[in-house]
Amino acid sequence: MSGFLLRRLLACLPTLLGITLVAFVILNLLPSDPVLTWSEAGVPMSAESQARLRAALGAGRGPAERYSDWLLSVVRLDLGRSLRDARPVQEVIGEALPWTALLNLCAMAAIYGVGLPLGFLGARRPGSQGDRWSRRILLILFVVPPFAAALLMQRLFAVRLGLLPLQGTGLGEATGAARLGSLAEHLVLPVLCLALAAWAYTTRYARALFRTLFPAGSVAAARARGLSGLRLARHFAPMAALPFVSILGAVVPALVAGSVVIEEAFSWPGLGRLLVHAVEGRDYPVVLALVLLSACAVLAGQLLVDLAYPALDPRLREQVAPDGSHGG
Amino acid sequence: MTARGEPAGRGRAGRRERTSARPAAILKCAALLLLLAALPGCGRSPAPSGSSGAAGAAPTGPVRFVFPLPIEPATLNFVSGTDQSSVLVQRLVGDLLVDHDPDLHVVPRLAASWDVSADGKVLTFHLRPGVRFHDGVPCTSDDVVFTYERIMDPASKAVGRVDPFLPIEKVEAPDPATVRVTYREPYAPALRGWEIPILPAHLYRGADFAAAKENRAPVGTGPFRFVSWEAGQRIVLDANPDYWGGRPRIDGIDLRFIPSSDTALQALLTGEVDYARLQPPEWEARRTDADFQKRYREVRFVPLFYYYIAWRGDGSNPFFGDPRVRRAMTLALDREGYVRSVYHGLGRLAGSPFQGLLAGSPEPPAGPDPASAARLLDEAGWRADPKTGKRARGGVPLRFTLLVYSGGEDHVQFSQVAQQNLKALGIEMRIERLDWQTLWARLKSGRFEAALSGFMPGADPDSLYGMLHSSQIEGGQNYAAWKDPDVDAWLDAARRTLDETQRTALYRRIEARVLERQPYSYLFAPVVLAAMSRKFDGALPSPQGILGHNPGALALFPATGSPASSTSPQGR
Repeated sequence: MSGFLLRRLLACLPTLLGITLVAFVILNLLPSDPVLTWSEAGVPMSAESQARLRAALGAGRGPAERYSDWLLSVVRLDLGRSLRDARPVQEVIGEALPWTALLNLCAMAAIYGVGLPLGFLGARRPGSQGDRWSRRILLILFVVPPFAAALLMQRLFAVRLGLLPLQGTGLGEATGAARLGSLAEHLVLPVLCLALAAWAYTTRYARALFRTLFPAGSVAAARARGLSGLRLARHFAPMAALPFVSILGAVVPALVAGSVVIEEAFSWPGLGRLLVHAVEGRDYPVVLALVLLSACAVLAGQLLVDLAYPALDPRLREQVAPDGSHGG
Repeated sequence: MTARGEPAGRGRAGRRERTSARPAAILKCAALLLLLAALPGCGRSPAPSGSSGAAGAAPTGPVRFVFPLPIEPATLNFVSGTDQSSVLVQRLVGDLLVDHDPDLHVVPRLAASWDVSADGKVLTFHLRPGVRFHDGVPCTSDDVVFTYERIMDPASKAVGRVDPFLPIEKVEAPDPATVRVTYREPYAPALRGWEIPILPAHLYRGADFAAAKENRAPVGTGPFRFVSWEAGQRIVLDANPDYWGGRPRIDGIDLRFIPSSDTALQALLTGEVDYARLQPPEWEARRTDADFQKRYREVRFVPLFYYYIAWRGDGSNPFFGDPRVRRAMTLALDREGYVRSVYHGLGRLAGSPFQGLLAGSPEPPAGPDPASAARLLDEAGWRADPKTGKRARGGVPLRFTLLVYSGGEDHVQFSQVAQQNLKALGIEMRIERLDWQTLWARLKSGRFEAALSGFMPGADPDSLYGMLHSSQIEGGQNYAAWKDPDVDAWLDAARRTLDETQRTALYRRIEARVLERQPYSYLFAPVVLAAMSRKFDGALPSPQGILGHNPGALALFPATGSPASSTSPQGR
């Protein structure tokens, strides 16, 4: 198993390298100007003062040299400094990362917390009233674009009803233990907005999977064999975990895309906003670091899925073991 | 067990007993969700009226003015930070050497007075006595010289601040209260260049300028002290009780980073912020809303900003080298109709690049004049094909591409109006939408035929130098590549002319020439409409908003009788 893991980790390296290379090339193809990155608001500047600034920057190195320099410093765990505010990129990303992680983990919990049970119910009684109605409602939720959902929910829950906070994280206003409650309140609307669209396909996907996993009568058969309570759950839980793992592949990219919009709408200080600003401002070190980070996250997710599958499904374990021992 | 294999919708009784375990799970799930939804409900009971959030929760807390910022400042270093958000914080935490009033006239601030030598080359500032930085260290001429030196150091990346300092020969500090600036030749816009916040030299000297801790926690001499910067969320400032100009009457300012203008407006309605801009339709919709009018007052101002189209006239295309074609373009555009329909009339036509900078600039014509435009095009040889109606000259069709900024609704909408206007004249205009950096790079490189953009001139007419002087074609802002030796000479002369009457006369001549030759089509300026909470009063609108001038935030005070002010310790 460890050999399998090692092999998989090594296989990730060329992929990572390729992703950063592509990102670097795209960034360099975008027309821009280092002098302009410091005057994002379009501060007028005369030809003379620009020439002065350029002279101070030096002749400028070629793209190949810059890329290899960047790669070398990444190996030394140095992501460089942001062009915008001259702070280490680690620090800039470190500030935003926990916010995005928190938001997305909560969204994930909300997506699975609703999608899986609904899918399960639908699979149990396909075509029932509940199944049909949940499908209709979820379809409607699915087609609402995230920015519109955000605006509608903000207007309804925050402005009209005054039930939930409108935007921000709520940490600044509260003190002590109230901070946690305030944070939880502020999470509700953005998490719902992220979850809305995902509910439709997690439910559908889970429904289909449950139907193939638990063919009619399988639970009954298990019961008939005397399994009950905890033992019944232990028997079926690994199987039920499979859809959880498979749907990750669809949920994660949707969350990444959605959080850019949602973070903007809810003034959430996360990575989505950082990425938008960094791309607009051509803050190359930050953009490259974010690309690297998300590539790592996606690859780690895939690795996790690959590891989880054999753990959950003994049939796959058989295929991995000899292969792994061979590699190790 | 009977229900399992049965078709849907049947076996109701069986279902109820069999699934006893699962409904419990669903119930739990639902209960959890409800709890999640209800929890905030009880925790935020005062929210509906929305009066709590802004004042900072506790009734005894300080009354801070909560102001939304769309973009987080890059740095709070007084010299390196040149974006709008940074500049706003600078003028609150720091003191500018000189400042401008709501009517954009230069007024003293850290410099109590100044005088200019007879030859116009030496400008001497006399600093206000007894001013101290927030850490207690006195502010002297040494700090001013240090700030000047940092601006001139290219490593500081003091984008946009360097220009007015390029004609300076030397800056000296003969004594702690005096700064003497010597220019190589008389320089009329000199004073406005010194609208810069003064750095604490004792904190920055010897430190890494780009990474000093003061860049995230600034120390100045200004009316507000820095309290905290919560990354991505807000910057909090408190009134400086020892400010030389007297303690501000509000207890502090809370700058919230709210990127979406929609969200900012909603936040105003919930009371989370005290000020927000409204689009004209949003304002129209609330004009008759009594509750809205009771809670908010209208703030309205005309910024110096305007939209324009640059016609690249350097011969790289066969159309816009000819002033007749450019004039025809301006005549064809329905600027007035756009302002009337899209802005609901809340905009002003820009008839001249000096709009708002020179008293009595000529008014733009009321509406488009397609007949005159067609005549001019005919004169220039671009004749309409009798069959198709499309204009061409010598087989070359009158067809070009307009670059626009894709992120600006106004930019995109007006380009579509222009497209229709020109189509009616037999001109085919394509629209290419670009992001800001790409548009900018294209403008700088000169690889375009026409481009729609916006311009925010400074308060001095010299700020048009970049757009009109031929020395600014390469690398500067003269995107039309316009070259007129007379205008070059007049612009240079106006820089050296200290006499206001003579100087204005020069700009009048420049204006007349620009309007005759039309290197750019000057379009219109949107009026800014904002709503401000009636918890505060005293705001002075100016072309640079309610905070971007002197007194700015010092003019604000908590309104008497409002719930917020009754609990606050009133400022002096």
